[in-house]
Amino acid sequence: MSAAIDYEAFRTEVRAFAETRCPPEIRAVVATYRKLSRKVWYPWQRILFEHGWGAPGWPKQYGGTGWDLKQRHIFDEVMAECDCPPQYHHGLRHIGPVIIEYGSEEQKGRFLPGILSGEDWWCQGYSEPGAGSDLASLRTAARREGDEYVVEGQKTWTSHAHEADWMYTLVRTSKEAKKQQGISLLLIPLNAPGITIRPIRTIDGWHHVNEVFLDQVRVPVANRVGEEGGGWTYGKFLLERERLGGANVAPALRNLQRTRELLARELGGERHRLKRAMLEERLLLAEAELRGAQALGQEAIAAVMEGRPLGLLPSVLKLGTSVTFQHVAEVALDAVGERLAPRFRPTDAAGPNAEAPGIEWVQNYMYSRVRTIYGGSSEVQKNVIAKQLFGS
Amino acid sequence: MPFTATPIVAGDAFDQASRIGEEVDRQLALIDDPAGQHACLRRHWDSLASLGWLAVAMPEEAGGAGGTLSDLAALAGGAGRGGLPLPIASACGVIPYLLADQPALLPGLAEGQHRIVFIPAEAAVDDTTDVPRLAPDGSLTGAVVGIETPPDPTHLLLVLAGAEPALLLLPADAPGISARHYLRIDGRPSADWRFTGVAVEPGWILGRGEAVARRAAEARDLGALLTCVEAVSAAGALLEQTIDYLLNRMQFGVALASHQALRHRVAEMYVEYENLRGLVLQALRAAGAGDGMPWREIAFAKLRLGEAGRFIAQSAIQCHGGMGMTEALPAIRLARRIMMAEFEFGDRTFHAQRLLEAGRRAA
Repeated sequence: MSAAIDYEAFRTEVRAFAETRCPPEIRAVVATYRKLSRKVWYPWQRILFEHGWGAPGWPKQYGGTGWDLKQRHIFDEVMAECDCPPQYHHGLRHIGPVIIEYGSEEQKGRFLPGILSGEDWWCQGYSEPGAGSDLASLRTAARREGDEYVVEGQKTWTSHAHEADWMYTLVRTSKEAKKQQGISLLLIPLNAPGITIRPIRTIDGWHHVNEVFLDQVRVPVANRVGEEGGGWTYGKFLLERERLGGANVAPALRNLQRTRELLARELGGERHRLKRAMLEERLLLAEAELRGAQALGQEAIAAVMEGRPLGLLPSVLKLGTSVTFQHVAEVALDAVGERLAPRFRPTDAAGPNAEAPGIEWVQNYMYSRVRTIYGGSSEVQKNVIAKQLFGS
Repeated sequence: MPFTATPIVAGDAFDQASRIGEEVDRQLALIDDPAGQHACLRRHWDSLASLGWLAVAMPEEAGGAGGTLSDLAALAGGAGRGGLPLPIASACGVIPYLLADQPALLPGLAEGQHRIVFIPAEAAVDDTTDVPRLAPDGSLTGAVVGIETPPDPTHLLLVLAGAEPALLLLPADAPGISARHYLRIDGRPSADWRFTGVAVEPGWILGRGEAVARRAAEARDLGALLTCVEAVSAAGALLEQTIDYLLNRMQFGVALASHQALRHRVAEMYVEYENLRGLVLQALRAAGAGDGMPWREIAFAKLRLGEAGRFIAQSAIQCHGGMGMTEALPAIRLARRIMMAEFEFGDRTFHAQRLLEAGRRAA
């Protein structure tokens, strides 16, 4: 079937759409690293939705495009190349597919349309103060009372909780079983009584993450996805689907291109000739690595489409690309750091220095440090790789 | 089961080259004297010729196998994996590429009687005084250094750069040619060549002009690509052997492979290896798809080979501890080979400079 798809024509179509339909002010946010928020994302999701491209990864019967993996990959690539925001992922890429796979018909009818159109905004309640890489140690408890669960506990690193309507949440419904088995997946409205959201101040000066406190929060049993105790399986399903995330190197390459333009702008003068040459060389080394990763990404997509095992490719891509992304961010920091790093945050302001043009490069650098920490830290990835390479 | 590397281009040619490479490496390691080593290499050169390796890429009408780049890559990959200490990239790839329009030479080349040294245009140390050049009276003067040589070279294939590019094929024993011989850091033979008023006969000049310069640059990129294939295959074998060493070497009552510091180092080697493999595959595909050499893809691959290859080689030496400093293990001979590959057909700064200059021109 895939032989019938003209991928180059598809790429052209997507590019034309991105260039004509994505509003310039939205693309400018991406191009200048300003923080993406619901205010920016929503109108873009609306445009995609009205065009029938609201959910590239979903089956047609739920309003998805029905595209194959390669088409989705091309779509993501072109979006990055054109500075269109990557679609907000918590609904479309995370909980949406889980609901499609494991949710009841009632849940599908209730939750999928809002995700597709962008009306409902989701966030992920997984990590806890005591459960990071070791997620199965989570302790937030849900006690059954009739048709409701009463949820008590604390989530952390909850991205976008401050602008979300819903939180898909892993909770402990049993302490008797093996720790992975006593976990369930609940869909919790964030306006429910007993929920407090507090921002976490991060080193980049942006507000993405929060602590979410749940104090006797009552959640209808109808909001549980799948079986009680099945949450770990559904969470893993989600992670499995995300394993190809590293295959899309286009955003990193676009970031590199923007950094190259920054060097030309910032270090154009004769005084900076050598500095620019040194930084350009570092960018070139990063570009070589990203091109290698891009080739591996294509290999990974081909493997999935042909039903071959991915092996270590996802770990290799995650581990390698995250570090290269950081190298690129470092080059940008080195271009503007002398000027901007010392003036990061005005003493009389809550956020970063809004009066210093280009401060986002410093923020982007600080933020880039998370890439080797989240989604399976580099050390975890190395353990995974070594275990496979050594055979134990 | 521990890691096994996947060939860049699998098949019988790869297996054969890999087997022969290991055999030659093993034999050579047991011979102490230079004359004995030389004889060993010569014997194997002749046997490779009789196996048809040197004719793989030659057109069928010239008695060759009419093979593709993929066939060359299978040989280079196998040779790399086995650590074969002979100049496969130039003997099977670069030289036949440059001599493709010389039907009179091809049979001798294919059968191994012509053992040709390839001397690229960039091989002089001093740009002002040493660059080989033809005087108006037809005499050749200049000097080049560090040129890999096949055993008992019969000819020198010399690319002249500058205002009047030319391709020369000189008999190695022509009056005025002298050589000083060395072994490289990977143990393979090389030489410096000096030309002192060599009286070049008209028949030795195979071509002149810009077309020659272009063809020579393409040949160099082909050499760079095959070197990448050879080195990435060597890196795959090196990873296997390093893992094997760590699994079997006991210290303080436990296998070295139980230590996270070493396991993580190996994981990093693997990530570099995979990244390089991706780039090399992509460059091979691009080279197979179009006319000429995809110089940009090859330059990126060779640049990465400089970075990734050296990291892998150095890490392997580190992981082997004191044994990593000896010449005793095949693994360490592979590591040296990967280190040397950096300096063949343009080192990383050469290729970086090309890419940076192209970027500046485009901006």
